Amino acid sequence: MTTHERPLSPRLSIYRWLPGMVASIAHRISGVLLILFVPFYLWLLHGMTGSPEEFQQSLGFLHSSLGKVSLWLVSVAVVYHFCNGIRFLCLDAGWGESRNMMRSSARMVLALAIVAGVVFGVLLW
Amino acid sequence: MTIQLNIYRFNPENDSKPYMQYYEVAISKKGMKLLDALNDIKWNMDGTLTFRRSCGEGVCGSDGMNINGVNGLACITPVEGLKQPIQLRPLPSMNVIRDLVVDTTHFFDQYRQIKPWLQAYTPTPEHERLQSPEERVELDGAYECIMCGCCTTSCPSWWWNGDRFMGPAVLLQADRWLKDSRDEAAGERLDQLEDAFKLYRCHQIMNCMEACPKELNPTQAINHIKRMLLNRQS
Repeated sequence: MTTHERPLSPRLSIYRWLPGMVASIAHRISGVLLILFVPFYLWLLHGMTGSPEEFQQSLGFLHSSLGKVSLWLVSVAVVYHFCNGIRFLCLDAGWGESRNMMRSSARMVLALAIVAGVVFGVLLW
Repeated sequence: MTIQLNIYRFNPENDSKPYMQYYEVAISKKGMKLLDALNDIKWNMDGTLTFRRSCGEGVCGSDGMNINGVNGLACITPVEGLKQPIQLRPLPSMNVIRDLVVDTTHFFDQYRQIKPWLQAYTPTPEHERLQSPEERVELDGAYECIMCGCCTTSCPSWWWNGDRFMGPAVLLQADRWLKDSRDEAAGERLDQLEDAFKLYRCHQIMNCMEACPKELNPTQAINHIKRMLLNRQS
């Protein structure tokens, strides 16, 4: 009788996204975004401090849809990464380590990011 | 009244791939647990369904499985309140021997690596090694662990780096021995754990804490070990 190889049981595709897991992955994603935006800041800085034409060009880009979406993304990433970073530092220091605090602090930073997203959206559009 | 279940099936002798099978079970009693439903299927409908269980009351840690996307013990999970059809799968990221039975060799090998027993070098006292009630309280939240594997197999860090990352269950146990006032091997235990992978792959995802059927907090235990290492350095 042939026996088939043991399959690996499903993991990421089936696991329920609980607040802690969302908060952790969002921290990685926002961190990567912030790094990727460094060249973008440098390009902006270059444009803003160059000739008047370059300044106008950068300003024009920032007022375009793509510019606004970039600004929105990076703003939300900053707010989220900052808030959750403080949350992680607190946990490292041993503050808010109860099961309930871990849950509610994850929900809190996610809610803050959503509020920030809405506020930035209103300001930008 | 019936409950519906979708259960992960795999028989290495017949199936090249796992699949989900649908069952319907009558609600037999008030407060019915998931294990009662599984037993009903195995005893009265389909004897080929395979799962581990022993004590049936959350002490042995045999029937850990993925219930509607979160790990837990079938024997202490009430059927009532679970979204139906209940999706039952084996513990994640494990090699499936058959149906809901997984190969735990690596998991217990990692457990062995932390030497989960009392290590003391001072001469053995005439009677037992005493512990004050205050020292004993330190072990609350750690000694209750039954090594069911629900937390370790819920951890994405362990999914990707399980070959080197010890995982929440083993690290909670390591913390349990570090906290024990009678244990005298804290130095060696910390030496062993001070490693980018063994300990520091924990990214505070906290799935372990959510999955633990005994409501323990492995994330907290891991953070405690990290602080012990930091205190030792300074």
